[in-house]
Amino acid sequence: MALIELRNVSKSYDSGGLPVEALKTVDLLVEEGEMLAIMGPSGSGKSTMLTILGAMNPPSSGAVLTDTIDVYALSGEKRADFRHEYLGFIFQQQHLVPYLTALENVMLPMAISRRSQHEQAAMAQAALERVGLGNKVDRLPSQLSGGEQERVAIARAIINEPPIILADEPTGCLDTETGIEVMGLLRTLNREGLTILVVTHNPDNTRFVDRTVSLRDGHIDADRRHPIALAAMAGIGDGSLPSPRSLALTAPSVSVCATGI
Amino acid sequence: MRLSTIALNNLRRRRGKAVLLVLGLAVGVATVVSMLAITQALKADTERKIDQFGANILVVPRSDDLALSYGGVAVGVSSAVQELSADDAAAVRTIKNAENVSTVAPKLLGAVEVEQTRVLLVGVDFEQELRLKRWWSFEGKEPQGPDQLIVGQEAAHRLKVGPGSNLEILGRQFTVAAVLNPLGSQEDGLIYADLGAVQGLLGKPGRISLIEVSALCSTCPIDQIVEQIGEKLPGSKVTALAQVMKSREQTVDQLGNFSLAVSGLVLLVGGLVVLTTMMSSVNERTREIGIFRAVGFRKSHVVRIVLMEALLLSLLSGLVGWAVGTAGSSLVASQVAKLEVSVSWDPLLAAAALGLALLVGFAGSIYPALRASSLDPAEALRSI
Repeated sequence: MALIELRNVSKSYDSGGLPVEALKTVDLLVEEGEMLAIMGPSGSGKSTMLTILGAMNPPSSGAVLTDTIDVYALSGEKRADFRHEYLGFIFQQQHLVPYLTALENVMLPMAISRRSQHEQAAMAQAALERVGLGNKVDRLPSQLSGGEQERVAIARAIINEPPIILADEPTGCLDTETGIEVMGLLRTLNREGLTILVVTHNPDNTRFVDRTVSLRDGHIDADRRHPIALAAMAGIGDGSLPSPRSLALTAPSVSVCATGI
Repeated sequence: MRLSTIALNNLRRRRGKAVLLVLGLAVGVATVVSMLAITQALKADTERKIDQFGANILVVPRSDDLALSYGGVAVGVSSAVQELSADDAAAVRTIKNAENVSTVAPKLLGAVEVEQTRVLLVGVDFEQELRLKRWWSFEGKEPQGPDQLIVGQEAAHRLKVGPGSNLEILGRQFTVAAVLNPLGSQEDGLIYADLGAVQGLLGKPGRISLIEVSALCSTCPIDQIVEQIGEKLPGSKVTALAQVMKSREQTVDQLGNFSLAVSGLVLLVGGLVVLTTMMSSVNERTREIGIFRAVGFRKSHVVRIVLMEALLLSLLSGLVGWAVGTAGSSLVASQVAKLEVSVSWDPLLAAAALGLALLVGFAGSIYPALRASSLDPAEALRSI
């Protein structure tokens, strides 16, 4: 049984009085433990799909089932609880809270939990160490590099140990080398059992995933499994990808960072 | 990490907005505190002055007959003229609330013939009488001895006397010390002389006809003083002068209503300051609120964060407003208004100021809090 299922999902927006169809009758199944890239040109519906998967954007029609839960049949407050338990988000441009330290940013999802301060701090420390930032817990986001901020965002996404991570352009504002490090980190988390969906413009990032879903004009245009993943499914090999640094980068990175923000 | 940590850290980060909100609300609270404190002081001062301005209690001998006069016109004479004694006047100052008795002015009345004109002679204790009748103005000087008189305007005109004139009453020589300026009352036709001298002239040693009492009623009701005097003087009839009391109450009420109206307006402005500042803060934090909602915060969590921030600042505003308001009103009361009653540091007023600030802060921040919680998380995260 799939962990995530989009069943005949459509989404329309009203843009200046004209209806815009961001997604058109999309069906998608994501297995537990998969790492999936969602690609497509601007306006193809990638971010819309991610926010729908993230229980933040009710579809105009269709259903979203996660772990057999019909997400949009829940009330608004129950959906918030669902996000807290099942999902970790890595946003485009990190979206760290600027007046909280790295440790406090990672602890943010636990502000509404019943865990003691001591337990929260210990878990946050462990998460930061896991992403290689154990020695920068007291830094504000402005005191961290882009890559470090991305790592803090990843630590925040995994602190509650959710089964699913949704990442929106995690390498969009990073240089090539740092982007590779971040994707490698996500792959490592995936190998530890997390199901990860990554929205990305960068075709190089598809080398880190098991499967690539391409969107165009609100439809799924292509759905390709990576050969190594296919082999693992057939019982050949363990599904490990080559070292990220050994990958030849054949296409230029596409930056999605807006400048001056 | 708690929601309060988020609220406190945000306030530290947005110090400018926090200071603006505190100042705006503190000005409102300080104004209310000042108005209340000064109004209270004015009320006490006004009551004190009104109480000192004329008699508000009348003590007359008890009579079995009903009143035979109306509007100052006597119709017939009661069968027996009762009188009080000088000891009765002294006894008024021995009641339980003696500290509330400002002036005791005994009088002996007698109709006499002076230079073929019938006049009402009033024997008074001039010291007490002049203290009671502060509205008197006259030509001449205050009487200095038992042989000096104060004559009403009309009586002086009829008797053709002025300050310094000699006047013989029942064989005794007196000197006119002063002539009252017109008062438009029965006092214009009276002659005031020393009480002892009149008692001698009328052959009524130690007797008095009535006692006018001026009581300070700020700290105890007039009814209690009337009752206490009645208990001391069982043979007398003691009444509060309703007109005086009513006038005092009206003045005091008007002061209170005015201060309430001004306070309400100022608090409204304070509430608007809270509203606009918090709305601005919420608008600046759209993406941050999107993060909160995305990581699983419910709408109620977002509301709590915003309200916590507003209420923390409101608490601070209340303290600052109370301190500034009390200090300011104390200065105004003593240096500007020259009040005889002082403004003190009142813990009850402090509690009221804090409560008021919290109420206004809550009212001004509830809409921004609800607005923040209703932001669409997907839209909020997309915002720049």
